[in-house]
Amino acid sequence: MELIEPFYRIFGLLYELEFMKKAAFALLLLSFSASGTGVLVVSRRMAFFPDAASHTIFGGLALGLILGWNPDIVVLFFGVLIGLLIIYVMQHSTLASDTVIGLIFSGGVAFGLALVSHYPEAQGKINRYFLGDILTVNEMEIRLLIVLAFVSLFFFAFFYNRLMLTCVAPANYLKSPMPEYFFGGFLAFVVVIAVQVVGVLLVTALLIAPAAAGRILASSGKGMFWIALLVSIVSGQAGLYVASIPAVNTTPGATVVFISIVIFGAAVLGKRIVSLFRKKELIVNQNA
Amino acid sequence: MSENKRTAAEGEAPAVVLKDVGVSRGRYDILHEISCEIPSRRQTVIIGPNGAGKSTLVYALLGEVEVSGSVRFNPAKPVIGYVPQRLDFDHNLPLTVSEFMALGRSPWPLWLRIPKKVKKLNREYLEMVKAGTLMDRPLGSLSGGETQRVFLARALREKPDILILDEPASGVDVYGERLLNEILETFKREMTVIMVSHDLDTARCYADWIVCLNRTVVASGPPEEIFKRDVIGRLFGLRLEGGVPTAADPSAAAADEAFEDRYGESPGSEDEFPVKRGSARPAL
Repeated sequence: MELIEPFYRIFGLLYELEFMKKAAFALLLLSFSASGTGVLVVSRRMAFFPDAASHTIFGGLALGLILGWNPDIVVLFFGVLIGLLIIYVMQHSTLASDTVIGLIFSGGVAFGLALVSHYPEAQGKINRYFLGDILTVNEMEIRLLIVLAFVSLFFFAFFYNRLMLTCVAPANYLKSPMPEYFFGGFLAFVVVIAVQVVGVLLVTALLIAPAAAGRILASSGKGMFWIALLVSIVSGQAGLYVASIPAVNTTPGATVVFISIVIFGAAVLGKRIVSLFRKKELIVNQNA
Repeated sequence: MSENKRTAAEGEAPAVVLKDVGVSRGRYDILHEISCEIPSRRQTVIIGPNGAGKSTLVYALLGEVEVSGSVRFNPAKPVIGYVPQRLDFDHNLPLTVSEFMALGRSPWPLWLRIPKKVKKLNREYLEMVKAGTLMDRPLGSLSGGETQRVFLARALREKPDILILDEPASGVDVYGERLLNEILETFKREMTVIMVSHDLDTARCYADWIVCLNRTVVASGPPEEIFKRDVIGRLFGLRLEGGVPTAADPSAAAADEAFEDRYGESPGSEDEFPVKRGSARPAL
């Protein structure tokens, strides 16, 4: 834990309260995993996938309650399992990927809600997952996020190129479906953890908005990754800060997502204005 | 020259031997009892009308579809380079040609760096296919012909034993197609080139070996033999008039000039690579 001490000291300049420092650090860790994953999701047109993975939370939660195991851990395993299942069905059926994801997604939700309705004591937990809560992040969860950041670093180092290749390359460039499975499992893992921060409803936007901004602004694959990371970090920290201002006092998760979408909107608008300006310049030059 | 081609083709063990190969989807036979040989280190053109199963045969060679019968390669496990027919990827994806070439080659992740060594190798291969200037362009901004050459550079870089091109002429203008054929001409003694085409002129001008396909092998052999018989006419349902096109054709000479304006000196001699401008183009 000595390693994270410097971070806490930096965040200490902004926040006095211990839980705010923790929340800021947790968001920073999550930004790295979420933005890189988001770039892959956007490039591979799988925006529906995180939605599906996040909704499996209900199934996992219900299962945890029935089995009497720690629901937080069951949720994680259940999510990864569903992620792998989606990839398996996508690889082995002739159905389009959105159909497969839609089916499994609804199946997970139906299973979860049916069970949860049977266990009234689960309702409270469900609410937490619906909206997420970064402010209650504890030492244990910070550790989990550190693990996630390292897993992400490993994943981006070894699978990023191969997964990008499938966006452009013909089928026979990639003989092995293994990277797909790793991606399915990894993506579900990131999503389930991110759900605890921003909630089920907003997790897709947390992943996708920075990547979409990166895609709009970048002209290379490398640029897209770094711009997405920057947008993710900026919106994460700005969202938390704005939410903590007493006059504003909003839910941090939602504020973070809202700011990242505002940045995306600004990127679209900025790009538009620049291209209009260039066109005008071109016309002026031609006339001259 | 034609005699040479034939003996060379027969002298070396064939690169691919297909025996009773069949592909079916549901109740439909797409390919039926395909038996033929594809000579090693030569350019083979697979021709046939639409729906003849040409692309399916390519997938069978690539191992992408389940086949009955046997497909034997020499060497047994060849490196296969593949340039697909339709290059339908996300054209708005921010990915430069240089990055695309590095994917799968560079040990470093894309978002970190591309090693100089990998970049240099990629540039060499892109220059070979006259695409050296495209390094920093986004892949999605390239024209059909440029994209095809980039994919070709990628395929060549893997030093394939067999290079497969699926309908390389589709979506490319006459100059682009000629450029591609001239590039291939410089490589075809080093590797087995298999090209799928429905264009008779391509086959006539550039093939060392032709396989006529219409769900099954209608005929296969050296071009002069194939064109002598009435196989092509039966295959495409047309009659052929006129001989093999040559560069002596005045319209061909004009096309040559335009070609050189665009791409500089052509790598081969004009007599060897006549312009694709035959009188035997199937009427549409």
